[in-house]
Amino acid sequence: MSFFGFDTSRHNPTAAGFSQAHNPFAGLSNNDNEGDALEFEETYDGLGDQLDETDDAFNDDTFGGGDSSAPAPVGKDFDFFGQTAKVANVIEEEHVLFSRQQPAPRATQPVAQAPPQPSAATSSYNYAPQPSYKPARSGYEKYKEEPVGELQVDAALWGVAPKKHAAPAAPAQPAPATSAPPGRKMMSLEEIEAQMRAQAQKKPAQAAAPSPAPPPQVQQQQMHYDQGYHLQQPVQPVQPMQPQVLPQVLPQVLPQVLPQISHAQVKEPSYHPGHGHPVTILQRPQSKHTPPAQPAVQPALQPVVQQRPQPAAAPIQPTQILQNPNRLSGDAAKLGIPSHPTPPMMQPAQPAHPTHRSQGSFSRQPHMITHPSQLAQLSDEEKAAYLEQEAKRAKRNHKIFLMSRDNGLMTPQDKNFITRIQLQQLVSATGNPNEHGTDESLSEDFYYQVLTQIQGGQRQHPSQPLNNFAQTYLFQTGSRQGGMRRHNRGPENHMQRMEQQVQRAVEAAKNKPKNKQLVIEGSLGKISFSNAKTPKPLLNIKRTESTGEVNRPGSAHRVTQPVNGTDKKSALRSIEKVYTILMNMEDHDRTMPPPPANESDAEAVQNFIAWSNEAQLLNTKLWEALRIHDQTHHGNVHPFISFLSYGKGKKAMQRIFRHTTQEQRTTVLTLIVVNLDNLDVVRGAQVTNGDTRLDAAMRENVELFSVAVMSTLFNFMNELELDLVAGVLGIVCTRNVDVIARSRIGASMLTMILSRAEIIKHSQGGSEQSWRSWEITYTQFFNLLEPTLPHIFPGTVNTGEDIYVWQLLAAIGIGASPDQQQRLVLAVKDRVMDTVALAKTLPPDMAAQRLQNVNLFMRSIGLDVELLQ
Amino acid sequence: MLFFSFFKTLIDHEVTVELKNDIQIRGTLKSVDQYLNIKLDDISVVEELKYPHLSAVKNVFIRGSVVRYVHLPANAVDIPLLEDATRREASNNAGKAK
Repeated sequence: MSFFGFDTSRHNPTAAGFSQAHNPFAGLSNNDNEGDALEFEETYDGLGDQLDETDDAFNDDTFGGGDSSAPAPVGKDFDFFGQTAKVANVIEEEHVLFSRQQPAPRATQPVAQAPPQPSAATSSYNYAPQPSYKPARSGYEKYKEEPVGELQVDAALWGVAPKKHAAPAAPAQPAPATSAPPGRKMMSLEEIEAQMRAQAQKKPAQAAAPSPAPPPQVQQQQMHYDQGYHLQQPVQPVQPMQPQVLPQVLPQVLPQVLPQISHAQVKEPSYHPGHGHPVTILQRPQSKHTPPAQPAVQPALQPVVQQRPQPAAAPIQPTQILQNPNRLSGDAAKLGIPSHPTPPMMQPAQPAHPTHRSQGSFSRQPHMITHPSQLAQLSDEEKAAYLEQEAKRAKRNHKIFLMSRDNGLMTPQDKNFITRIQLQQLVSATGNPNEHGTDESLSEDFYYQVLTQIQGGQRQHPSQPLNNFAQTYLFQTGSRQGGMRRHNRGPENHMQRMEQQVQRAVEAAKNKPKNKQLVIEGSLGKISFSNAKTPKPLLNIKRTESTGEVNRPGSAHRVTQPVNGTDKKSALRSIEKVYTILMNMEDHDRTMPPPPANESDAEAVQNFIAWSNEAQLLNTKLWEALRIHDQTHHGNVHPFISFLSYGKGKKAMQRIFRHTTQEQRTTVLTLIVVNLDNLDVVRGAQVTNGDTRLDAAMRENVELFSVAVMSTLFNFMNELELDLVAGVLGIVCTRNVDVIARSRIGASMLTMILSRAEIIKHSQGGSEQSWRSWEITYTQFFNLLEPTLPHIFPGTVNTGEDIYVWQLLAAIGIGASPDQQQRLVLAVKDRVMDTVALAKTLPPDMAAQRLQNVNLFMRSIGLDVELLQ
Repeated sequence: MLFFSFFKTLIDHEVTVELKNDIQIRGTLKSVDQYLNIKLDDISVVEELKYPHLSAVKNVFIRGSVVRYVHLPANAVDIPLLEDATRREASNNAGKAK
């Protein structure tokens, strides 16, 4: 049996211990084994039987009513249970957290003592120690004791002053209640809520009211906490002094709970050292924070802080280490924890202002009101001013609180990490800033780089927009502090490390194997990577060798259809080949080493020779690709001429001439002239007297030929010697001069040849011999051309597209003998007269234009249109 | 990277971006990234009466994936160079594929 007749057998051994998770049904399940879950007899404590309800004998004693004396405010002394319940909640909470985190045997000890207290205390009251009086189970106890804290996120974790801790602080005050619970042990939910509400409202007033000296039991518990948590803190001797109650309860219970919480949530970055909290709690602006409460709080604060200047550093450091597992504690100390939002109270100089945030507000405060009596002495105005200031302060603190909510969410390391990722992205998106202008970046960003170079000066540097940014970050900062690398281990160093890391990251990215997919073991899918340069492919089509070109339905019969002797596709491909070689040659030109300054520099000479050889090789490749020397089979067009029938073939001419030798160019010119009447732009663009309308494609073709090919040939022709020019003209004579002259391109070509000879004549170039051969060739040419002359004009007089013909006629006329000039005039006389007649009907400026064209020819043979009018 | 490279040269030129929902926005190209997201400034919608809700918008950021066409200023494009750039891109890609 037991002491005082306790029914120890009713102790439920299966009930959850403090070190176990809370299970409200643990007890019930046990009951189920016994049969009935809840019996009225069990829940009824039988007190009702003892009540003497016959009269109201002690009503006044109980309720304080009855007599005429002023109704004294009902104190909260009777509310033992409410207080206990709250404390119990806190205790429960703590223990759940604690036991989960740190199942140290000593830690559980003080807690284990807590539950017997109420029952032990029960005996001190004169309730009959009958088993039946003790409400064995209500079925609600467990719910009542449910650790509420688990459901609420403790804001303290994020370094925010917890509002909710203010509440537990208050219940601790009337601590005696703990040891003296009322007989009634059950509370309905409504009652509990009402209790809590009342609690919240009365708390300030309560804080002001003198609270009874704490019974030894509370102190005892306190000390247990101290020991249990191993805080190196001298246990305060119990001092029954009034103000001491708060210091004891606040800084010790709460701060110790807090590190505990942060232990539980190691991953949550929380910068708040434990003892920051009591202060923040106290300065927490509560809406009901009335001045009377202030003095009570104020003295409490200072003793607390002064009490513990020494141990301050110790509890901080471990928490920090836990928050940032990466950071060495020594490192932290060295760095001086620069970015710490609330510096620990290491500075003994300001023990009264432990945190940054409280400094501003508190430093003013004590000068004004340090004691409630002072407030009472103030006049109404002063009081109002004080209240106003207080409200302002509260508002400000609240604002700061709101803003600082996320303080320290990221450690400097976190921030650096993020910056590093961003820089890495930047570098991979824009390429290594060092690489710009090199071949690698040129191949990636060719168009932009070259165009900006061509346009030149618009932007100062082609890679301005993004690179500069990266460079600023990577290199400027690096060089700026390069000298102090050894000494400064402060945050500056991060930049340097980051810079190195980015460079390493870039290197790694470059050397990364071309593995574009990641298959995580056990997963069903693949993760494919993508970056700026190689975006994630949406379609991944594997082209096997067999399905190359042969099996394509379209190309099958195209192959059988030769266009101009060669199929179009191979012609286009050969053009592309030429372009590829041209680009290679251009790239090669760019890498041309400076010609060796003197013969002694063997290396430079060597380089130059190697380069020249390479250039020569490329030139040979180009020449082969052009297929100039291919033999034309009968009826087929020469490959180079078909090359020129494509737009891009024409466009290539200029570049081909830039990369070929004089001899090669002459060969090209000869080849073109030989095939002049075979050119599509000549053969397909014959003019007739009636209809000059060419289709749009041919017009475009002609235009392109004259721009791309003719201008190139013209430039080249202007450097030719007379005998070569005569040779070219001789070749023309072997061709169908009629066809050539009746096309715009052909006529222009003739003009080009004839005018070059004329220019040579003017500059007294050419030998006697070559002039003689020129004369012969010219006469032959003129004889060939003469019958065509009346028909070389495109369209009728009205179309006005005949300027190139007048140019040709002028070129012919200027080199012609008087006899030839006569024949020339006769041949084109009609056209001249028609044009002059037309000019009279046209508006003056257009007429002048036409006449000027005609005059081009007339002047060349020593006449003028003026004579005809 | 060809298109990115190309559009970079059009920065500060006026372009018309036609979206896949048929809205055409004309504005000054301010920025483009490798996803061909486009930032336009001083925009005007081509058919303003049809899309009044855009009449107050001064600048836009267009996600590259919603662009159907970009109408280019022809005189800002160097066609031969672009052709060469295309060839290079093609040969680069062919080199990578092998």
